[in-house]
Amino acid sequence: MNERRTASRIQAEVTLQRESWADGGNSGDVVITHEDIDRAHDRVHVLETRARRGFLPRMHLLWLLIGPGILVMLGENDGPSMLSYAATGARFGIGFFLPFVVLTFAMACVVQEMTVRLGAATHRGHAELIFDRFGPFWGWFSMFDLMLGNFLTLVTEFIAIRAGLGFFGIRPSVAVLGAFLVLVVALMTHRYWTWERITLGAAMFNLVFVPVALLSHPRWDAVGRALFTWGPLPGGLTADTVLILLADIGATVTPWMLFFQQSAIADKGLTTRDIRFGRADTVLGAALATLAALATILATAPLFMHHMSAANFEAAEFAQALQPFVGHWGSALFALGIFEAGMVAAVTISTSSAYAFGEVARRPHSLNLPFRQGKSFYLVLLLEAAAAAGLVLIPGIPLVYIVLIVNVIAVLAMPPALLFLYMLVNDREIMGELVSPWWANALALAVVIVLICAGVLFGVSVIAPNVLAHLGGR
Amino acid sequence: MEPHFPKATSDEVSSEDVTAVMTSLEPDQLISAKAKHHCPQRQLTGVEMILFWALRIYLVLMFGVVIYQIWTGVR
Repeated sequence: MNERRTASRIQAEVTLQRESWADGGNSGDVVITHEDIDRAHDRVHVLETRARRGFLPRMHLLWLLIGPGILVMLGENDGPSMLSYAATGARFGIGFFLPFVVLTFAMACVVQEMTVRLGAATHRGHAELIFDRFGPFWGWFSMFDLMLGNFLTLVTEFIAIRAGLGFFGIRPSVAVLGAFLVLVVALMTHRYWTWERITLGAAMFNLVFVPVALLSHPRWDAVGRALFTWGPLPGGLTADTVLILLADIGATVTPWMLFFQQSAIADKGLTTRDIRFGRADTVLGAALATLAALATILATAPLFMHHMSAANFEAAEFAQALQPFVGHWGSALFALGIFEAGMVAAVTISTSSAYAFGEVARRPHSLNLPFRQGKSFYLVLLLEAAAAAGLVLIPGIPLVYIVLIVNVIAVLAMPPALLFLYMLVNDREIMGELVSPWWANALALAVVIVLICAGVLFGVSVIAPNVLAHLGGR
Repeated sequence: MEPHFPKATSDEVSSEDVTAVMTSLEPDQLISAKAKHHCPQRQLTGVEMILFWALRIYLVLMFGVVIYQIWTGVR
């Protein structure tokens, strides 16, 4: 009986789809590509699962539809982000920054939810929509911001990979080349679904910072107090605290995330019926990423409590300095976590660049494409990663400084990127009934204001640091 | 640049594939449909234009600040 009911529900789903083809009026003139076929086979599983009722099929559907949100959030917990969190815990403790980091991830949720709706409603990537709706003049500006930011961030991912594996005595050239090869292997699947699951599995290692935090034996009453009372900024507003504030914001909201999640949603084939699950995916990703970020701050907080200077620490030095507090295994896990953060982000960020290039150049751009059909897509991806990897091997580069400054650049580039997103998601011509409600617009506006204020504060701290003293700093 | 999307050859497409495409994808999800139909460019209003330029100028100024900070850091 149940089977018969399920079969009739699947039939209903299929009929619905056929009706939408008839409405589209182009079923007689269909050109099918390899990419369409792969995507269709993935979507068949979604349709069949959606037709079933009950808790387990719901969970199975969630499993099928999650991916872009978790990847983007854990991908953004990248090398520079984890090092920013480590520097935060080591230099400023937990009082102000634990709730601050939770707030930044809430901001990320607000922003990324808009890309879910946009991707599902239009089936197009972010760069393509910006070019189509605002024209090439503004489109190229946004591409320049994205490509510059992505390349600099990729450089820092390889810095993290090099530094993380450096703890285990692996030579920089071997570490960087090995990571590049891993990236190539991940792409060889030529299937979005397989690539997504492999990358998701790797991204879960971001939670390796949780056991490190537990090994540091945090005082849970202090953690609870920090989260619920929000202590003052230690040392007040100084150039150092402003830099770390911006680095922490840049660790959660950056332009590549907008481009990646929307393009990945289009590549995965999500439709408007999947938006609820897309939102769940984003919130789940944000929750996991918040957990990893808070764990990193907690793990390095003993350095702050013991007044150890961590101003110029790289990943390996953090891991070594933590050894007395978390033991050898704890430090090894910390170093491994930094490597993983860089590795996963190197994959997702280079993919975001390749998507954007393909959308703008109107070349095939999908992880479902075999290499010969998606040469430009894969070449952009690999060349960008290779150039970033090569740069990291140049001796004498000030690695710590680059890492912090990259997150700052991400924050500065965010308001113009958010204006494009805001206008697209409120564009009734492409979004129809899915335009943002007033409260979502209010939240998005609040995020833009926070980002601009943070940027201006950074400018003041660099150009006229004395002004900070009047704002209550030193 | 002209759109270029390689069509799957007939030996790559089975009837099962065609059924899967027709039953599980929305018409505007097809690559050929996306390549053929693009969203039309919209006209920006005066306020939108001012906002776009203001944020562009903000970005250029802030990048100047970053370069200045790097320069002072190096010195």
